[in-house]
Amino acid sequence: MNDEIIIGIDLGTTHSLVGVVDSGFPIVLANEKGERLLPSCVTWPVGRDPLVGTEAMRARALAPARTVASIKRFMGRTFADLSIEERSETPYRLVPGSRGEILVALDEKTLVSPEEVSAVILTRLKETAEAALEMPVSRAVVTVPAYFNHSQREATRRAAELAGLTVERILNEPTAAALAYGLDRLGESATVAVYDLGGGTFDLSVLQLREGFFEVIATAGDTRLGGDDLDLALARFLAGELDLGVLSEPEEATLRIRAREAKEALSTEERVVVRLPFFRGESSYEVEITRDRFEKLALPLIERTGPICRRAFAEAAEKGASAVEKLILVGGSTRIPLVRTKLKEWFGLEPDLSQHPDEAVALGAAIQAGMLCGRVRQILLVDVTPLSLGIETFGGLMNVIIPRNSTIPVKAGELFTNAVDGQASMAIRVLQGERELAKDNWLLGEVTVPFTPGPKSSARVGVQFAINRNGILEVLARDTTTGEDHVLEIRDAAVDVEDEAVERMISESIDYAFDDMNERVWTEAKFKSEELLPAVAGALELVGDRLEGDERSTITSAAKRVRELLEAETHDAAALKKANTALDEATQTLAALLVEAAFEG
Amino acid sequence: MTNPFAILGLPESLLLDPAAIESSWREHHRDNEAASAGDASDHNRARALLSDPISRLAAWLEVKAPAITPDRSIPPALMDLFAKIGPVLARTDALLARHRQATTALARALLTKDCVTAQLEVQALLQEIQPVKATFLDRFAAFEKAAEHEDFAAAAAALGPLKFLKKWEDQCRERLLALIAT
Repeated sequence: MNDEIIIGIDLGTTHSLVGVVDSGFPIVLANEKGERLLPSCVTWPVGRDPLVGTEAMRARALAPARTVASIKRFMGRTFADLSIEERSETPYRLVPGSRGEILVALDEKTLVSPEEVSAVILTRLKETAEAALEMPVSRAVVTVPAYFNHSQREATRRAAELAGLTVERILNEPTAAALAYGLDRLGESATVAVYDLGGGTFDLSVLQLREGFFEVIATAGDTRLGGDDLDLALARFLAGELDLGVLSEPEEATLRIRAREAKEALSTEERVVVRLPFFRGESSYEVEITRDRFEKLALPLIERTGPICRRAFAEAAEKGASAVEKLILVGGSTRIPLVRTKLKEWFGLEPDLSQHPDEAVALGAAIQAGMLCGRVRQILLVDVTPLSLGIETFGGLMNVIIPRNSTIPVKAGELFTNAVDGQASMAIRVLQGERELAKDNWLLGEVTVPFTPGPKSSARVGVQFAINRNGILEVLARDTTTGEDHVLEIRDAAVDVEDEAVERMISESIDYAFDDMNERVWTEAKFKSEELLPAVAGALELVGDRLEGDERSTITSAAKRVRELLEAETHDAAALKKANTALDEATQTLAALLVEAAFEG
Repeated sequence: MTNPFAILGLPESLLLDPAAIESSWREHHRDNEAASAGDASDHNRARALLSDPISRLAAWLEVKAPAITPDRSIPPALMDLFAKIGPVLARTDALLARHRQATTALARALLTKDCVTAQLEVQALLQEIQPVKATFLDRFAAFEKAAEHEDFAAAAAALGPLKFLKKWEDQCRERLLALIAT
């Protein structure tokens, strides 16, 4: 038995992979069927053990409520943090747990946590590795999006533990991709950026590579942006084109699957026909979609990555990095031609496509694993923390203690004292994020600093906030009078949710009454209409004369439709939402003209 | 905080060369994977402190003249600058809040012009802060000389204003980054 081996795992939103370093080279391991990509999907057939991967994918349309895909989006988050859209977008049902955490309700009685779902996937990867290597495996490097916060990383670690794996390192995905890129370019020195657009998350990291020394300078991202969103946008568009009305759960799941296939095909084809045989009873449907049309739908989502890149580039430059020379693309969604053209247009860089979009992160994880067990020696790696860490101060502000993009591991201390006579302890709320107000940031939890009771201002407790190499926070308190150190527990942020409130939230989410849902969607759509209509009027006044052909009339009729629905007696939420989307799309050129005009002045 | 100069094996000087800080940090980081997390944190912290001239000055004073307490009031010479910065930051924040609230591309596009203007304003502020900061940083050699005679008064007096300038600079940079990301 060889205890020394460490495997590298890419636990992705849509796919997961496992790799290892063999004779100095990182490789991705295949399962007994020869598959290297394991779909990150788990299904629980009634009364049987869960099925994973391709088998589970087949169950999506048959048993949507018991089949869980893209669980990564919910790792380490609280139910309260989910938007209404997010709560209703999954084919499976999300409910809050007793601590306010997110749970999946497979049926009325069976609840599973995101960690448990991920653990099933990780267990399968562990088995794949054990079969391929013909030895037991118990240690792993697991990758996460660079922009994951402390809680999301902790959840990932717990999932691996449930799968019987000790996590030797949580590695950032773009950093892993950079390792894969840099392994056979160790002699070179360059500033590179990794653009990682996966199934559910987007990351951009800027690194300096200097003769085997890999240093991350800046990182930025969005943990809720990826290929899944494109599938959803396309599925909604198709439903609208086909006038399908309200979709049942299996219909929704089927449509989503076909949308994803169409999206993938459109990366190489100019047009595809989406076929939905026996979609609704005996009825079959068919609709053609062109790449051009798909790109119109994808553009707003892809454009969200632009400012994130610019921000990371600016921060890297501020920290003294030279201009980015290489823009390395990884993640399945970077296969979309529009991503590549947009990047070229924005940054004037020819994207580097040398890395396998699906495998680079797993290979990097394998390299890091190899570094940790001595199989790879010529590399040094230093990463950063993606988010500023701070504490809530008087007045609800966030006081930054460790700024984002600090090299990790890192620690910083603060001194606390008792504000009143005899005070025995003080609660500190620990936050992550970049906003000034505490409430706009992630609340990681609370720690209680103990005081030796005495007169006001007599206690002196130094609190150390340390972010380890995994990006996970540890809080230590040192009593300066006794010199004693001890670890402070970071208690769940959601403990203060009252039981009754949780009960109510559960019942609300389970029997989401149709009317209630309609009203919620209406309110949200109305809000959007009220923002759009005056914006359209304002924009037309400013740059309307620059519109060509019938663009103006398309816009005005789309606006008219929104206004009619808004003023109608019955609230047709679905129609208003659809009209908003149409207006939103009709005004894309207008928005571009406005931006153009702003830079002319 | 323990002495960051000692942690990286560097001379206790205000006039450290950034390249020297980098190479020393890298030397200490050679065994990054093997180093205890505590040691690695200390190295990283020391590099961050010494790379910025203002935190370097603070660390230097702490090592050389721990008894001196810096003045925390805004020096009169900086009051004009302070009066300019406040309103620009407040205007920018209001604009950024409106931008965050906008849910459609069109509504955001309507704010682009204001965002461009704000970006120019903030950049102009940063350019005003720069020379003021430089007048203090240019005196580092003189502070070192005075320190030879155990005279830390001028260095200590510079720390207060420099801390304000750094804070304002950071605030402007944050806004600028947020504006870039609009």
